[in-house]
Amino acid sequence: MLFLQLLLQGIQTGALYALTAAGFALIFGATRIFHFAHGTSFTLAGYAFLFCWNGGLPGWIGTLAGIAVAMLFGLAMERLVYRPIQRHEGSFFTVFVAAFGVAVVVQNLVGMVAGRGFASVDTRLSLATEVLPDVFLAPIFWIAIAVAVVLFAALSAFLTRTHAGVALRALAQNPDLLRAYGLSSNRLSMLAFAVGSAMAAPAAILTAMTTGLNEAIGHHVMLISMAATIVGGVGSLRGAALAGLMLGVAESVALQFVDTQWAEAVSFLVLFAFIIFRPSGFFGVAQTR
Amino acid sequence: MIAYAANLATIVAIFGILAATLNFVVGFAGIFSVAHAVFFGLGAYAGAQVALHIVPDALLACVVAAVVAGGLSLCLALPALRVRGEYFVAASLGLQMMATTLFSEAKAFTGGIGGLVAIPRPTLFGMEVSVLPLALVALALILFATALLQRGAFGRTLQALRDAESAAEALGKNVAAAKTLAMLFACAGAGIAGALFALHLSFVNVESFTMDQSVLVMAMVIIGGTGTLWGPVIGAIILLSLPAGLAFVPFIPATEVGAVQQIIYGLAMTLLMIFRPAGLVGDLSKGRATA
Amino acid sequence: MTDEVLRTENLARAFGGLQAVAGVSLSLYAGKVTALVGPNGAGKTTTFNLITGNLRADSGAAQIRGKPIMGLKPWQVARLGVARSFQDLRLFTHMTVRENVLAATETASWFWQPGGGAARRAREDRAARALEATGLAALAHARAVDLAYAERKFLSMARILAAEADIWLLDEPASGLDLASRLRFGELLRGATARGVAICLIEHNLDVVTELSDRIAFLDQGKVLAEGDPQTILRDPALAAIYFGDRPQEAA
Repeated sequence: MLFLQLLLQGIQTGALYALTAAGFALIFGATRIFHFAHGTSFTLAGYAFLFCWNGGLPGWIGTLAGIAVAMLFGLAMERLVYRPIQRHEGSFFTVFVAAFGVAVVVQNLVGMVAGRGFASVDTRLSLATEVLPDVFLAPIFWIAIAVAVVLFAALSAFLTRTHAGVALRALAQNPDLLRAYGLSSNRLSMLAFAVGSAMAAPAAILTAMTTGLNEAIGHHVMLISMAATIVGGVGSLRGAALAGLMLGVAESVALQFVDTQWAEAVSFLVLFAFIIFRPSGFFGVAQTR
Repeated sequence: MIAYAANLATIVAIFGILAATLNFVVGFAGIFSVAHAVFFGLGAYAGAQVALHIVPDALLACVVAAVVAGGLSLCLALPALRVRGEYFVAASLGLQMMATTLFSEAKAFTGGIGGLVAIPRPTLFGMEVSVLPLALVALALILFATALLQRGAFGRTLQALRDAESAAEALGKNVAAAKTLAMLFACAGAGIAGALFALHLSFVNVESFTMDQSVLVMAMVIIGGTGTLWGPVIGAIILLSLPAGLAFVPFIPATEVGAVQQIIYGLAMTLLMIFRPAGLVGDLSKGRATA
Repeated sequence: MTDEVLRTENLARAFGGLQAVAGVSLSLYAGKVTALVGPNGAGKTTTFNLITGNLRADSGAAQIRGKPIMGLKPWQVARLGVARSFQDLRLFTHMTVRENVLAATETASWFWQPGGGAARRAREDRAARALEATGLAALAHARAVDLAYAERKFLSMARILAAEADIWLLDEPASGLDLASRLRFGELLRGATARGVAICLIEHNLDVVTELSDRIAFLDQGKVLAEGDPQTILRDPALAAIYFGDRPQEAA
């Protein structure tokens, strides 16, 4: 039953990856900014929740705080870092380095303030019970799945039903069109950062409840989001989400064959293979510039 | 104190080689590799193995390291021929992450997490030598070669394919060959730096070859200035003097020096990109790569 | 006619359902300017891309002096003596004008160019002559990105001159040029044809076409509808109707 256990665990991890990756993909799709500090939104949201929890505040306040911090961070990046850079030359690499710098700064600040190493929230939700012979599941598994499903449903409703959501999708395909219709791409870009960054918060909070956080987790999250976005096909939210889920499952199931150290390498092997053999990803059109 | 200065100078020379060779592909070919530490590591392990099991001859160690790292540069040339920009960065990050795992697991070659220890002192033509003069000579040679290549036709070819790949091809330039060669040169250089590093410390383990190290070297190039000859070396000097400088600042607790250092260079990277993207040495009018 | 240097036979290429080039047979002759004329979307640039190997043809063949070139990579085609310009120029933006032109003279992808110092001086001479001929000598040390529009167009021509190719494929090289620049451009072409260069020119301005070309190939919907001397083609009312879009089912 090890396989089933690993598969279920993989689905749980994958659901969280999918949420974070979809946020990254949303931002990249709408703004063409490769938001390398996306993992930092995740870290900040997780630690915000952790602080509230340790301060004795109820979970829902921590959750709101996490979402707010992630959103604010995303917006601050858009306003203070990406926008000024794009005003001058704004090559992709300039953006990458600037975002990376921020990620390094935040990682170390978090380490100094919150202490280094793993920190987690203990709740009864993460206590596993035996649901099948030798298969253990915690309530958090169902919560992770439910949160992912609900959020994806909400996101797709937002993107297809609301005016702003439709505009956001259009921005990915044809920025000129928007200008012709008198929509502000500036404001849409901020919207993309707000929504995309907020998507990282639930995953961060659930991670705090399960495997725990450390100050460097942002790197891992960013890399997974990036891998999922590319494997899924840039511009496709569904692709990013599916790829995120798939990477989570692959990492977990791989444990049946290899040691834990290799789990992460599996994701990058997949990424590397995709870039070499199918750079357009599952659902994307070729984006090799 | 002299030992301390000699040690710092050796490390600066070694990282100067790393930064200069990385700059060659970043600043000229527009290939943004975040996996330079992988080739540094390959060179270090290869050089250490030569010293441990064959002879501790510095020259041989460097040559073997250059061949191993240069040969495996194909791992990175392959994606560089397929994709550009964000995609290539993603591929190089992927390679870096896989290599880190590989380095900790391939115990026969790398000694695993514990690393390779008791690497004998290097010799040159049978005489024991310190690494500092070797590293300085290697740095000088590599800077010289880099300057020649950058200012000559090859540098122009790389810049041409960086600015307009299809136009370069239309003028008869074999873009794949040029990119592969550029990667080969840069990675072989990183390999030499690795061998010197292993001989200098007489101990290497995977911690020196992680993504953090790649980012540090990248920061040296960026802060110094991409596409310049001396920028990366100056970047290396600045970033490596930082911990020494911080040690003298009284109100920073010793345990936080590493973090403060990282915060400083992270901040420097971000601020430079916003206000002075050509780096400290870079001349803004020369322009930068636009991937 | 005189010596045929490049010839395509029934080149065809479709993108999805759209047949961009549907069997183009075309010949270029040494010392002659052939204009490719036709409405937007007729397949002119695609034809260039098929010849230069930037696109793979679905069917058909092409040869340079009898040597088949299908399946060759762009740089291999270039080394057979084909130089091309792009509609969007694709200059080496962050290099100087002189570096742009020098780069066109250096085709070896090895760490250094063959031939040593003598060959290097010869290349530098070539570059200097190309700059002189295009009137860019005074701007040799300006960055390409800082040039004015007409200067950029001439830089693109200078690269081609310096490449010393004997087949030129020019994609709208004269569009947007003022009269004086156009005259100088005409001189460049005449100088080249006098040396025996075969030129193929995509051009929308029919005045320029009449002024510069020896032959016209009229393309529409991926096919060569007519080929001949400029007077005959341009006076054909049926072709004019297509060209000026009087046709009811005009495709984009």
